[in-house]
Amino acid sequence: MSTKAEFLARIREQVRRAPARFAAETARRPQHPAAEAESIRRELAERWPETLDAFRREFEGVAGVFHRVASIDMVPDAVTSIARERDARGLVTWHAAALGADLVPALGARGLDVHQMPAAEPTDGSERERLRSIAARVDLGLTGVDLAVAETGTLVLVSGAGRPRSTSLLPPCHIAVFDRTALLESLRQVGVFLEAWHADPASARGGAINFITGPSRTADIELTLTRGVHGPKEVHAIFVDQPFRG
Amino acid sequence: MSTGDLGTPFRQRAGGAMQDAFLQEALTIATTKFIGLRREAFAGFPDGESLRDQARAIKEATLQQLDRHLETLIANVERLGGRVHYAATPAEARAIIVDIARASGARMAVKSKSMATEEIHLNEALEAAGITPIETDLGEYIIQLAHERPSHIIAPAIHKTKGQVAELFTRELKRPAEPDPEALTRIARVELREKFLQADIGITGANFAVADTGTIVLVTNEGNGRMVTSLPRVHVAVMGVEKVVPSMSDLMVFLAILAKSATGQKLSVYTSLVQGPRRGGELEGPEEFHLVLLDGGRIAQIDGPLREALSCLRCGACLNVCPVYRQIGGHAYGYTYPGPIGILLTAMMEGTEAVRDLAHASSLCGACLEACPVRIDIPRMLIELRREVDDRKIAPWPERVVFALLARLLQRPRLYRLAARAGRLVQRPFVASGRIGRVPLFFGEWTRTRDLPAVAARTFQERWATDRELRG
Repeated sequence: MSTKAEFLARIREQVRRAPARFAAETARRPQHPAAEAESIRRELAERWPETLDAFRREFEGVAGVFHRVASIDMVPDAVTSIARERDARGLVTWHAAALGADLVPALGARGLDVHQMPAAEPTDGSERERLRSIAARVDLGLTGVDLAVAETGTLVLVSGAGRPRSTSLLPPCHIAVFDRTALLESLRQVGVFLEAWHADPASARGGAINFITGPSRTADIELTLTRGVHGPKEVHAIFVDQPFRG
Repeated sequence: MSTGDLGTPFRQRAGGAMQDAFLQEALTIATTKFIGLRREAFAGFPDGESLRDQARAIKEATLQQLDRHLETLIANVERLGGRVHYAATPAEARAIIVDIARASGARMAVKSKSMATEEIHLNEALEAAGITPIETDLGEYIIQLAHERPSHIIAPAIHKTKGQVAELFTRELKRPAEPDPEALTRIARVELREKFLQADIGITGANFAVADTGTIVLVTNEGNGRMVTSLPRVHVAVMGVEKVVPSMSDLMVFLAILAKSATGQKLSVYTSLVQGPRRGGELEGPEEFHLVLLDGGRIAQIDGPLREALSCLRCGACLNVCPVYRQIGGHAYGYTYPGPIGILLTAMMEGTEAVRDLAHASSLCGACLEACPVRIDIPRMLIELRREVDDRKIAPWPERVVFALLARLLQRPRLYRLAARAGRLVQRPFVASGRIGRVPLFFGEWTRTRDLPAVAARTFQERWATDRELRG
C-alpha cells in the first residue's frame, strides 16, 4: 500500500520538473469575504424585485412551482393547499429556529400530521432511526432556504442542527420557504457567500451544502425526461414578501 | 487491465457496433440531442467563452502547484475528522475500500455514479469480499442488472431500449414491468429507496474537491449522490488526484460550465458540497468519512505528454461531437473511458500499447477541442500518440510497411510521378465515376466501408507543368 509520504513525494517531484504550460491564475478570491457578502446583500436590497422575477423565471424553467404570499402567517395556508391537491397529510419540517418561524401549530390546526425535526442532535441511535423513517414515509418536506439564486433558479440549503439533509430529499414533495434576504443574482455571488461562510469560525454549519435546481430528474431510459427518480418529484418555493428571517 | 470485450480486435468491435441498427439510431438521437442542448445553453450565456478560458487557466494553475493544493486538501479533510488514503494503482484503491467496508461490517454498499470506481473495477472486488454493491444512478443500475458496462460517460445506458429495460426489470427484479420510462423509473425508485435506507456504506466519486475547505463536490440529477452521502453510516469518496481545485471561487467557475457542457442544463439538479463526517447537531450524515486519492497513471502525466488531459471534467461533450464515437458508441473503445478524451485517458491509465489501434479512432477534425469546456487540445495529443505508437514500433507490421513506403514515395518527386502514372493504369478496372469502390486482395479491407478517390486523369503536378492560367 502506498504511504502518504511517498505518494506526495512523487507528485512533488513531477510538479518540480514540469514546466508551466502557460501563465495561469486561479480565480480571484474575495479578500474580505464577509464584507463583500454584506455589500452584495446591501446592493440587492435595492433591486430585489428584479432578482425575484429572474429567480422565478429560472425556477419555473426547471419545473419548480413558485408561490408568493404577503407574510409568513400565510405560509400554512399555502402549504395546506399544496397538501390537499396531492391528498397528503404527513409533513416533516425543519425546526422552527432553523426555519425562522414556528409554523407547527398552524399547520397542525389545518389538519396536517406535522413532525418537527429536533433542534439538537438526538442522543440515541433509535431516535435517529425513528426520525429518519418518518422522513422516508411522509409526502411533504418543509424547509427554509439559505440562498435563492436567480441565474439558475437554484435553492441553496445548508445542513445543520434542526435542518436535516433528508427533509428536502426523502419526501416526494419539497416545499421551501424564503424571503428577499436569501436572494442572489449569480453563481459568482454564491461563491462569495461560500467563501464567507467558510471563513467564519463561529459558524455552526453542518457537513452538507446542497444546491437544488428543480425536482429530481433522469433521462437515462431512451432520453425520456422523468421526474422524481430518487429525490422529490416536485419542488415548491414559497416567497414571503415581508422578511421573516432574523 | 481491460474492461470491455478485448478478446476481439478494435476494428471488429467497431464493425459490430456499426452493424447494430438500434445502437446506431440510439447514438444518433442521443448525441444529436446533447449537441443541441449544449449549443443552446452556451448561446444563452454570454460569459460562457470567457469562463471556459478561465476554467482552463485554473486547471493549469492548479497543476503548477498540485502538491501544495493536495496537502491543503488532506489537512482540511483530516481536520474535519475524515481519513485520507493513498492508492497508486487500481488494485491498491480496491484493497483500501474493501478494508474500509470490512472494518465497518458492511454487507451492502450503495454507489452513486462514478467513473473512478468504474476505472478501478470496484464492484467485482466488493462482490468477491462478500459485499453487495448497488449502483443507484438509474442508468448504472440498469447496466449493473444487465451485467454490462457504461457506454457513455453521462448516459451510461443509452444503448438500451425501454423494452429491453422492461424485460430486464421483469426478469431480475421479479416485477412485471411495462416498457414505459415513467413506470420503469418508479420501480427503480422503490427498489433503490430501500437500499439507500439499508446500506451500511456509501461510495461516490468526486466531481471536484475544494482544497481550502476540505469539501467534496458531487453533481447529480437524480439525487442519488445526496442519498449515498447522507444516509449510510460510512461514506467513501474515490477521486483522481487531478480533481482538486483551490477554492470555492474556483469551484463556481467550473459549476457554471460543467452542466451546460454535459446536458445543457444551467446547473445539474443537485450539486452537493459535503465536508467530512456529520457535525455536532446533525441528524444525518456519515459517522465516518474516507477520501481515497487515486494515482492510476495520472501523477506521471503532470510532467508528461498527456498533462492537458488531466484537466478533463468528464462532461462527455467530446463524445457527442466525435464522428467516430457517433458511429461506434462507447463499448467498442473497450475501456472505461470512451470517446476522444477516453483514448487519451486510456493511454494514461493503461499505457500506449493499449491505444495502438484506438489512437487512430479519430478523424482529427477538431470537434472535440471545440466542444471541450476547458479546451483540451485532444487532436494534438492524439497525433503525438500516433507518433509514439509508430516510434515504438507497436503498430501492426502491414501498417508500418505501408507508411514507411508512403514516406519514401512522398520524399521522392520523380518516383511519386511515376507511381501516379502507374496507379492510373492499374486502377482502370476498379474505377467508377471517379471513385474506387473496391480494391482486391487484403487491401480490400480499406474499401469495405468507404471509397478510395481515384488517381486523377491529370495530376496537379502535371497541370502545374502545362497550364499557364494556373500560374496566373
